[in-house]
Amino acid sequence: MLPAASRSDFNPLVRKLESILSLTDDERQALLDLPMQMALIKEGQDIVREGDRPSRSFAVLSGFTCTYKMTGDGRRQIVKFCIAGDTPDIQSLHLTVLDFSITTLTPCSIGFITHEALWNLCMRHPRLTAAFWRETLVEGAIFREWVLNVGRREAYPRMAHLLCEMLVRLRVVGLADDRGCGLPITQVEFADALGVSTVHVNRVLQEMRADGLIELKGDRLNIPDWERLRQAGDFDPLYLHLRNEQAVA
Amino acid sequence: MTFTLQTVRVANVLNEEGMLVFDKEQQLLAVLTQLGDQYGDLSGYWYLEAGFGRAETRDPPRVGDLDAAQRWIRQRLAGEH
Repeated sequence: MLPAASRSDFNPLVRKLESILSLTDDERQALLDLPMQMALIKEGQDIVREGDRPSRSFAVLSGFTCTYKMTGDGRRQIVKFCIAGDTPDIQSLHLTVLDFSITTLTPCSIGFITHEALWNLCMRHPRLTAAFWRETLVEGAIFREWVLNVGRREAYPRMAHLLCEMLVRLRVVGLADDRGCGLPITQVEFADALGVSTVHVNRVLQEMRADGLIELKGDRLNIPDWERLRQAGDFDPLYLHLRNEQAVA
Repeated sequence: MTFTLQTVRVANVLNEEGMLVFDKEQQLLAVLTQLGDQYGDLSGYWYLEAGFGRAETRDPPRVGDLDAAQRWIRQRLAGEH
């Protein structure tokens, strides 16, 4: 078994929380000791649904998920892509009923943590309570940025902004390298997140490719010139409230 | 309801072949484009580039041919969403 210090390098939840708050060894260890029920979930499966009253929350340990809501006539709006290290339904610790659904976009490894275990952790470690609080505040900031993005930016900068955000967030948990990242998001999913048609997504991606802003090969996204993409997307990572912005931008 | 169709080039990045759709009073109802080869699975479809009045939508459809596109517009004008 690896020593605890090394294990934290591989634990995306620890890595994610450390990106927004410094943790002591005790706090890091308490997170690593959280009793988690692991589950491997196929792609296209709802993990939780709107209206659920969960008695546990979960951390995404690997794979891509998304949080979404539906209109009354069945049209989907993706409101966030959730990746390793995210705890997208942690609000259910305080708000009894879920007002959104979360589905897997790829096969995912999920760690379920009972609310009881989370309460115990928070009682013993007030700074971890603050970390989770901070995490949900940052999530609120991300939602605000998405409202701006979807409501006011044209399709091209809207897509560029989303790609910038995904690259930065993936880098935080060690899932992006200097050239780019794996990004297994389909054009239909991009369309549902950006509020445009799949035809429009297809067109924008072709245009961005032609402009040399992105290289797409299968699920791999390469960014030849980060600064140009950042400018195209009007992207400022301030709203992600990272401790060390320079390390990720 | 009978429509009049008029071919047009659409000055989007791919310079696609398009079609204007007018009603019998020659009011513009919709702009359609036919998706080219570069769209992969979507190529060949007709796409509602813009719809006006009741044909305006957040969810522009893509359909297999111009008849299907006109059916869609007709349904919208009849108030079916």
